[in-house]
Amino acid sequence: MSTLLNSLTTELRRGTLTLAVLSQLRTPQYGYSLVQLLEQCGISIEQSTLYPLLRRLEKQELVTSSWDTTESRPRRYYVLTPYGIEIYQQLKKEWEKTSQELSLLLKGEDNE
Amino acid sequence: MRMIDLYIQEVTRRLPEKSREDIALELRSTIEDMLPDDYKEEDVKSVLEKMGNPAILASGYLDRPMHLIGPRYFDVYINLLKIILPIAAVFSLISLIATTIFSYSGDEAVLNVILDLAGHGIWGILSTGVQVFFWLTVVFAIIERTDHKQSQTPLTACFKEWTPEDLYNIPYIPKEKAISKVEVFLGLLWTAIWASVYFNAASLLGVYEKGRNGLEFVTPTFNHEVLISYWPLAVIVIGLEIALDMYKLRTGHWNRKIAVLNTVMHVVSSVVFIIIISNNQLFNPAFVTYITDLFSLSGDFGNWFAGGAIFTFVLFAVIDIYQGFRKANIKK
Repeated sequence: MSTLLNSLTTELRRGTLTLAVLSQLRTPQYGYSLVQLLEQCGISIEQSTLYPLLRRLEKQELVTSSWDTTESRPRRYYVLTPYGIEIYQQLKKEWEKTSQELSLLLKGEDNE
Repeated sequence: MRMIDLYIQEVTRRLPEKSREDIALELRSTIEDMLPDDYKEEDVKSVLEKMGNPAILASGYLDRPMHLIGPRYFDVYINLLKIILPIAAVFSLISLIATTIFSYSGDEAVLNVILDLAGHGIWGILSTGVQVFFWLTVVFAIIERTDHKQSQTPLTACFKEWTPEDLYNIPYIPKEKAISKVEVFLGLLWTAIWASVYFNAASLLGVYEKGRNGLEFVTPTFNHEVLISYWPLAVIVIGLEIALDMYKLRTGHWNRKIAVLNTVMHVVSSVVFIIIISNNQLFNPAFVTYITDLFSLSGDFGNWFAGGAIFTFVLFAVIDIYQGFRKANIKK
């Protein structure tokens, strides 16, 4: 893949990352489990992007976090707050709208 | 494992004290999650490679921007720099020229003074430029870091976001009509030079001869008392020139009013020039004799020189007046 295509693809995906992460946090997740969940769905996310993103979401009060020390090693779990759920629902609607509009546009191009 | 400790240290040392411990703990648990149960150094390396450059990871945690001046302020910054830098440079040069000429004692050869001036001038412009650049950048870097608004929309020169109304404030200037800043600054520079020379003519203008210590000043050109007695007229012309230059700088393009003011300025300065130079006491008799002998001229050198000077002066004035009206009348 050319460098240009690469950077355009990254740019295209960057905006969707927040939505992807929010969607997986309806149940509590820790950092690595989140990476695995996302990767199972084919979404690869830079580690250096994910962890700071989680902190930012916490600062914006969309998620809360807590340490779980019951297992062999302590893990920090993140989960959506009620406000986070609300924002996630709206963001999801926006995304569905956008993808519908875009697929209409792209389909129109094929018919020409 | 030492490498993990080092990596975590590399990240956390870039973070604020209060969040270090928490982030370190989370990073460690994450890295260990990613490693197989029985891991070797190779595994650690591949995991750390996935985590990426510690500086980038740390900057992700920080709210601080990783640039000095971001897109919101960059345009304002560059515009201000473009306005302030030339003004500062020209003022440093003009003040240097003025102080040099006023403090000139007549002991040194003019050529040396000019060379000195060029050297100091370049140095002065450079250091002023660096000062302006430095302080403006510092101010903007601070603004960038203290503005906590989420918006990234670039700002206009008035530190507000752009609206179509802003277009009313921009004059539409065809290129031929524009008055460049360089033109105005050269005008100011010229005023500063001739004014300084006028008030110091006794020690600057005259005949130089090769002496023991390089060039030596022999005879001044003018009868200094006669020349300087016209100082109120000179001050009027200086005032007119500066006022016109400032007005040109503010307006930025030729119009009828500026063309008329330009004419007034040229008429006044031509009249003053003619009054001064046609005074037959103006030239130093010793200087006239010297020149007459040197070129073995016959007739009155004073009259001949004055006539030529008046012709040249008025010719240039007329050309400039004509150009002013021509540019003012360009319609587009």
